[in-house]
Amino acid sequence: MPTLSRADTSVLGRWWWTVDRWTLLAVGVLIAFGYVMMLAASPAVAERIGQARELLIVKQVVFLALAGLITIMVSLLSPQGVRRVAMAGCLVALALTALTLVAGTQIKGGQRWIHLPGMSLQPSEFLKPCFAVTAAWLISEGKRTRGFPGTLIALGVYAVIALLLKSQPDFGMLAVVTAIFLAQLFLGGMHPLIIGGLGGLVAAGGAAAYMFVPHVHLRVEKFIHPDKSEHYQIDRAMDAFGAGGLLGRGPGEGHVKDVLPDAHADFVFAVAGEEFGLILCLIILGIFAFIVLRGLLRMLGESDLFVVLAAAGLVASFGLQALVNMASTLDMMPTKGMTLPFISYGGSSVIAVAFGMGLLLALTRRRPGNTAMGNSTMGSDALAGEAW
Amino acid sequence: MTGPAKPRPDGSPAAPDPFSPVRRFGTTLGGSQPQTEHVRVTGPDLARRAAMDRTRDRLLIAAGGFALLFGLVMLRLADATVIRPAHPKAAAVLRHETPLPALRLPTIPAALDLGLHTGRAMVTDRNGELLAVSLPTVGLYANPREIVDASDAVQKLRTVLPRLEVDETLARLSDTGKQFVYLARQITGHEEQAINGLGLPGVYFQSGERRRYPLGRVAAQVLGGVDVDGHGVGGGVEKIFEKRLRDDPSPLHLSLDVRVQAVVRDELVHAMEDFSAIAACGIVMDVRTGEVLAMVSLPDYDANDFASTTTEQQVNRAIGRDYEPGSTFKLQTVSMALDAGTVNIWNGFDATYPIHIGRYSISDFKPKARFLYVPEIIAFSSNIGAAHMAEAVGADRQRQWLGHMGMLDRLGFELPSAEPRAPSEAKWKLASTLTIGFGQGIAVTPLHVVAGTAAVANGGIYMQPTILTPEEGAPPRSGVRVMQQSTSDTVRKLMRLVVTQGFGQAAEVPGYYVGGKTGTAQKTAGGRGYKADARVSAFMGVFPMNAPRYAVYMMLDEPKANASTHGYATAGWVSAPAAGRVIARAAPMLGLLPDTDNASAIAQALNIPLQPGHPPGAKVAIPPPGPPAKETPMAKNAPRAPAAPLGAPTGAPLPALAIPTPATPAEPILRDLRHEALYVAPANAVR
Repeated sequence: MPTLSRADTSVLGRWWWTVDRWTLLAVGVLIAFGYVMMLAASPAVAERIGQARELLIVKQVVFLALAGLITIMVSLLSPQGVRRVAMAGCLVALALTALTLVAGTQIKGGQRWIHLPGMSLQPSEFLKPCFAVTAAWLISEGKRTRGFPGTLIALGVYAVIALLLKSQPDFGMLAVVTAIFLAQLFLGGMHPLIIGGLGGLVAAGGAAAYMFVPHVHLRVEKFIHPDKSEHYQIDRAMDAFGAGGLLGRGPGEGHVKDVLPDAHADFVFAVAGEEFGLILCLIILGIFAFIVLRGLLRMLGESDLFVVLAAAGLVASFGLQALVNMASTLDMMPTKGMTLPFISYGGSSVIAVAFGMGLLLALTRRRPGNTAMGNSTMGSDALAGEAW
Repeated sequence: MTGPAKPRPDGSPAAPDPFSPVRRFGTTLGGSQPQTEHVRVTGPDLARRAAMDRTRDRLLIAAGGFALLFGLVMLRLADATVIRPAHPKAAAVLRHETPLPALRLPTIPAALDLGLHTGRAMVTDRNGELLAVSLPTVGLYANPREIVDASDAVQKLRTVLPRLEVDETLARLSDTGKQFVYLARQITGHEEQAINGLGLPGVYFQSGERRRYPLGRVAAQVLGGVDVDGHGVGGGVEKIFEKRLRDDPSPLHLSLDVRVQAVVRDELVHAMEDFSAIAACGIVMDVRTGEVLAMVSLPDYDANDFASTTTEQQVNRAIGRDYEPGSTFKLQTVSMALDAGTVNIWNGFDATYPIHIGRYSISDFKPKARFLYVPEIIAFSSNIGAAHMAEAVGADRQRQWLGHMGMLDRLGFELPSAEPRAPSEAKWKLASTLTIGFGQGIAVTPLHVVAGTAAVANGGIYMQPTILTPEEGAPPRSGVRVMQQSTSDTVRKLMRLVVTQGFGQAAEVPGYYVGGKTGTAQKTAGGRGYKADARVSAFMGVFPMNAPRYAVYMMLDEPKANASTHGYATAGWVSAPAAGRVIARAAPMLGLLPDTDNASAIAQALNIPLQPGHPPGAKVAIPPPGPPAKETPMAKNAPRAPAAPLGAPTGAPLPALAIPTPATPAEPILRDLRHEALYVAPANAVR
């Protein structure tokens, strides 16, 4: 990266001096790990899905490069641009998610994918960050403008999304979207009792899903009562961590990737644990924690409720996805079929994660007067521009 | 943009204007601008700031939550990698290495003295004889991507396994889209070694286990079977005790005695052949404990080959099908009537004329056409007498009795059984009472009949049937008293009478004092009356009657008469002899020797006259309660036109009966409820 003068007022120059470079660096490190894991897992994957290893690697190189590019491009947006892009994205992703119900591809018991030439797309992956931003705007605007029922509209949009995800069915995604939305309501100042009530409703919904949806029942039952044959993947993953120990078997020496069909995607953390051991896994975990905690704590100095809620939602989305993936690989919760951001192999998910990170970086860019002590807010700017 | 907010003309304070430049560029808290208007404007601003402060607090809470979650995952990660690492014991299997069974021998618990280290528990009979056992086997599979030359591999494999189909195996080995194809599910150790010697790359062995049933067809339905993956299938022990067999390696002891089981099966097979029956069923049960010693259903199947069985073979007729019990039910009727005090042994009923009730005509096989005493009703199996007896007791008490006897509910047996078919309480009217009195108009499983009869014979205690041997040291099973001891004592004599002087004489085995009851029920024809020449002939026996130990039930489905039976296919001719042979063969195995030394004393104790004398002053004939069912002397009731509307009064009007008159069908179907009879229709031609 050529040094940019602070006096450089070009788009890139301003971006460089205002963007959260530490988070950017963390994302870069994750992408680098993604490459390493791809090199480690690709021979087994190539054999399994019958493609040339080189092609797989080239594909992932392209995807990760694209991911980095998208992160940077999106982070160039102004908060206002973030809002517009996200709301438009929310509409498109909603439409596409609805489309999966009629024209989707069935993979592993859920109808979540749309086939495009060259790749499959899971629209709900994009829906997640877009909805986080949209909900943030609705909630903050509801507080700012009297008579605008922002929170109610957000609840309505959430209900539509919940219905769509329930119909696919994708209860893992639904759970994450719900958690993010509840967190945003909480941060937005909703009374804890109401949050508790909504949480109770969600819990009741979860219980109903457990009782009446066979697929969910099976997953939970498998987790609670591991069966020898059905608990196979988790057992292999635990074997892999056990074999990895502190320092790992060494790059390329792992076995778990040979036996787990999802070793390169949902169980990539186990491959990392086996080949590189505890220390590297802790580093990866630490980077995720760093991004999440830094993202949340930076918002302490932010005065615009929209930015706070949107950034918190995006960061929570990113963090929960990583946590869910790692926790289920480590047998702490039922497997959910979620990828580890930037590290798992797979096109559509990494693009969606990169998009979300781009939105986050765009929101956390330093703007004149956006500190707690300042009075000027982006939201009022934007609204002023439209209303006056 | 407009200027600063101004006071309204009416002097009221300016409305809060969030976009006021004052807010946008102006004061910080406690700022220096002196205008009061500006202080008012910051009012909502203050609230907003308070809200932001709350949001900041909550951001800290959220960050704390995330930190906690990440911390937990970190701990778990450390736990899984270095603190308590999993031992990848299955890795050997993953790497396609099959440990030889012999290598695992030292870890076998002493209890499994067969030296079998397999997952699924054995099933044995009550004496420990093996019924089902899992043997370690080797499966042969291949990874087509590692196969160098598929056709060469097939040729070589066939030198060891000639049973491999060339085309099919070649197709499997050539399917490089897969990495795992089975070539042979189970091969012998010898074959494994030979194939290993071929040195074919890409061909692997997989250790597994195979369920074997050393006795093949014996107890097939009780056991059920397993599918290719070793899961229990069918309606037997393998399926019902799936979890137990998988979780607990100690053998499961059934109550069956394979010796008795084999005898019952052998006799049923012969009887079935002799009388060209379509199916058969036999049960032996310990009347004191309810333990089932034998349970046979024919046609059966080889339990080792469950996959190629038919439904007819899989069904366990002892529990899985309902049959009208026929006259074996008269034991229930007489016990009920005696226990209720409705009749005494010296009472009787007039069985001169058939009973016509609605569309039904109740008559006797070999009619005596006279007054019959209670012992005669049982010994000669009089339908008319039993119907009158049931009528005297009444529908409510009959229903209650049969309920106590378990005849109205599914059996509380371990294996799944059929639900009995009986009229609902609302439909249990007089016609039902009469017909159920002699075992028609109700359908129960054979085991229902056995359990109910055991209660009659064992002193009046209903024992829940069981297929399991009680645990060692377990308290003896307890039952429910369903009748007085004295009733049981009397009915035992009646059961013995059936074999000494009644229709069950063919079941007699000297020294075993067999008692019982024959029962021949016509089969219903799909709910539309009864089939002309299809019947179920059963003998429900108990022995020895002086101290009852075992109930023996033998049933043939649609037996055909042959020369030796003089044209009869009734229970007395086809089932009773088979039951007698079972008793003669099985009783010694069960430790019972024929008692001929005390023969006369025992005979005396069990004796009951066909026509007992009655105490002075006692009334012999029992009048039926309520409006009497219309008894129409056949002779006087001139030949009835076959085309007469069903249910229409013939001759004198019938008393008000509960049976609704059905719409007149074009072709009348006469339900003939006579039993133990070759079909003689129509009713007006009955002799």
